Amino acid sequence: MRGSLVIRAALGLCLAGFLALAAFILAHAIDEREQGRYARDLRRLQTLDSGLNEAVLKARSGLLPQYDPLVAAFRELHRLRDALRRAPAFLPRGSADRLGVELGAYEKALTRKEDLVETFKTENSVVQTSLLYFPVLATSLIDRAHAAGDRAGFSERVRTLSSALMLFETVGDEDAKARVLRAQEELRSALDAAKALGLDRDTAVAIAHARVIVERKPTVDELVREVLSVPSFAAAARAEETYTALHHAALGRAVAQKQLLFALALGVIVLGLTEVILFMRRSALALGRAKDELSLAHEALAVEHEKERLRGELRNRFITMTSHEFRTPLTGIVSSAELLASFGERWDAEHRLDHVERIRKAAGTMERMLEDVLTIGRAEAGVLRPSPSPIRLDEFCRALVETLEHSTNRSHALRYTFLGDPDVTMDERLLQHVLGNLLGNAVKYSAPGTEIRFAVRTTAEECLFSVHDQGLGIPAEEIPTLFTSFSRASNAQHLPGTGLGLAVVKRALDVQKGTITVESELGRGTTFHVSIPRRLATLETTLTPPA
Amino acid sequence: MPPSPSTIARLRRWSTALLAGATLAACGGPASDPEPRPSEPFLTTTGQPIEPLPLDEAVDSERAGIGEALFKEPLMSGDGKVACSDCHSEKHALADERAKSEASGRPYSPVNSPTMYNVRYLFKLAWGARFDSLEAHNDALMTNPNVMASSWEGAARRLAAKAGYEARFRHAFADGLTPMNVRAALLDYERSLVTPNAPFDRYLRGDASAISERAKRGYALFKTYGCASCHQGMAVGGNMVQRVGIMRDYFADRGKVTPPDWGRFNLTHLERDRFVFRVPSLRNVALTAPYFHDGTAATLESAVTAMARYQLGRELEPDDVALLADFLRTLTGEYRGKPP
Repeated sequence: MRGSLVIRAALGLCLAGFLALAAFILAHAIDEREQGRYARDLRRLQTLDSGLNEAVLKARSGLLPQYDPLVAAFRELHRLRDALRRAPAFLPRGSADRLGVELGAYEKALTRKEDLVETFKTENSVVQTSLLYFPVLATSLIDRAHAAGDRAGFSERVRTLSSALMLFETVGDEDAKARVLRAQEELRSALDAAKALGLDRDTAVAIAHARVIVERKPTVDELVREVLSVPSFAAAARAEETYTALHHAALGRAVAQKQLLFALALGVIVLGLTEVILFMRRSALALGRAKDELSLAHEALAVEHEKERLRGELRNRFITMTSHEFRTPLTGIVSSAELLASFGERWDAEHRLDHVERIRKAAGTMERMLEDVLTIGRAEAGVLRPSPSPIRLDEFCRALVETLEHSTNRSHALRYTFLGDPDVTMDERLLQHVLGNLLGNAVKYSAPGTEIRFAVRTTAEECLFSVHDQGLGIPAEEIPTLFTSFSRASNAQHLPGTGLGLAVVKRALDVQKGTITVESELGRGTTFHVSIPRRLATLETTLTPPA
Repeated sequence: MPPSPSTIARLRRWSTALLAGATLAACGGPASDPEPRPSEPFLTTTGQPIEPLPLDEAVDSERAGIGEALFKEPLMSGDGKVACSDCHSEKHALADERAKSEASGRPYSPVNSPTMYNVRYLFKLAWGARFDSLEAHNDALMTNPNVMASSWEGAARRLAAKAGYEARFRHAFADGLTPMNVRAALLDYERSLVTPNAPFDRYLRGDASAISERAKRGYALFKTYGCASCHQGMAVGGNMVQRVGIMRDYFADRGKVTPPDWGRFNLTHLERDRFVFRVPSLRNVALTAPYFHDGTAATLESAVTAMARYQLGRELEPDDVALLADFLRTLTGEYRGKPP
């Protein structure tokens, strides 16, 4: 039972662990969709960053005619930034902080980049306008100068400035800048000539645009350089690297968790099967025990049945016996009493005495039978108790023999011997039952004139009695039931008898802790050996309790 | 012996738990759904400075319908007197025909109220490009004591007291009339204010006859003179900030400079942002006079002339101005299939 408790506890632990881990895995499972989205968003940061750089370069060169792509790119980057702020739940503890640091660095770079790009857009637009408009204006000035008959080389100066600006725009070095400034100065000094041609206002506009180009192109180029040098791409790449490492860690952890989950599931299965097997074995054992108990109960019941049957048989025999054995003396008494009543006046004294004696003998027989029945009844009810008193055993036995000789008119040769100390403490009445019955049987079941030996001997511990006759003997197979009430030997059925005698003997001996054995040979005779403790103390405590 | 019913029940419980666990362990996660198509910010369709407006913007028409009612609802303001439409009039292409808007019980607005059309395509909101999103701009206008002097909570309370709104909101929003749903409905309406299919958009999409020859020449000038350096993109503006008066000092000429004239400087306090404004969208520009943040240009022609003067440094010939104005008139689109 203790082993089963341990298994159950382990099973409970395994199951609880399994469920807890399963719940944990479920809650922290790598959501492939979230994973894919997050990784994609991180990569897209870099793609968009490169695209932005390229678009800025294109815008700088006039290849991108509008800034909508830049606006859209930043809008998308803002969306990604906001989406990336929420780190996936499946990442190991502390991941959000680590990612947060990387993304924080990225966000800083992004904000810086956005500021620079905004300024770039503004400045670049101005420069682009001038770069676009100056050639148009220059061409128009040259055409109009020609038309107006330019003689002071005005249009040549416009052309010189125009080509200087083109060189500056392409090369952009100090040399080119000096050339632009020189050409600009020359054109300005030709303003008078322009005025003469009516072109002074547009010439001033052209010079102003040239100045814008010279002054602002370096600013724009510097802005482009700054935009390109913002470490947003590197920051995004670092964030992705960090995320990849964290994702791998989460993957490793998930594998370990699944292995543990598998182990726990295995534990649950093994322990569960063990528990089932043990449970079945326990059930089998319990069933076996129940079967044993049932068969024992059956046996006990059978024994009870047998006892009950025997008791019923006994009752039947008792009724049969009483109807016959009590009726015989009773008939004698009744008939003698009627004869005496009818003819008593006319009979002589001897005749009358003979009938009175018959009545007295029959009544004595009935009294003895009644005494026997009561003794057995008391024994069976458990109230037959010895009341020992000091007696002279020698004298007690002699009186018994004499009474028997008297009642049988010395029909048998009774040989009585006594040895040992005659002072004993015994129950006189019970002893009377034992010896009276044994001696009476000896007389009854042996032919007249045969010898009956009655030997009594006392030792320090017990009194030994033996009664030997030369009578019918008892069939060996009937000896076991010899001391049962109403049982009579098969070879004695023709003789009158109640079958109570030996039963009374046995019970009287039982309550005195005495024993009886029998030796018998058919047709040769029977010997009963009786042993009774010499000093029969009060045996109350050792008495068998009532059945 | 056959197993007892309690044994069977126990076995069944175990097997269920184990099966659940095994299933759990086995599944690595649900199959990922198809990748969402990323937007392609670097893709332009025309190679031109101007892109046509999309013809099919997705809008929640039921919520936008509520938002339209809210736009005209004075209960949106703290004192129940001013509606959004007071300064963004339906009669005037959701702009204000007055140079400075005037609403009941409020001081004059510091700047001209621009049109609400195509507001969703603008990269920043307000003349000084103060707000990054329509949400932020609306939040600020609602609480601005000189504008709505209100709050979403207060507006929701006042709307709930008026018949009709509760039911409409309950139908359109799961949680009914809440401050955030008032805001959402209004935003949905504002985002539904798009005017696609302008003649110029049809021209960009390949219909050469959609605009006149003069308009085409005007467009050519628009690009050549550098207007398109700033007024560009889908909204023909609204995607960058620029200084007013690049080639000539606009404010010196106009005089009486006040803080609203400082533009973006008011937000950043950087000297380089002084007089810098968000480049306004020129969509429907023919309908939204007067022009500029101060509303000083009463006509399209005067606005074009002023722009050329201060941004380009050049006095345009009247014919160029007319050509440019003809081009600008082709930017008037359709709202719900009709001119706004």
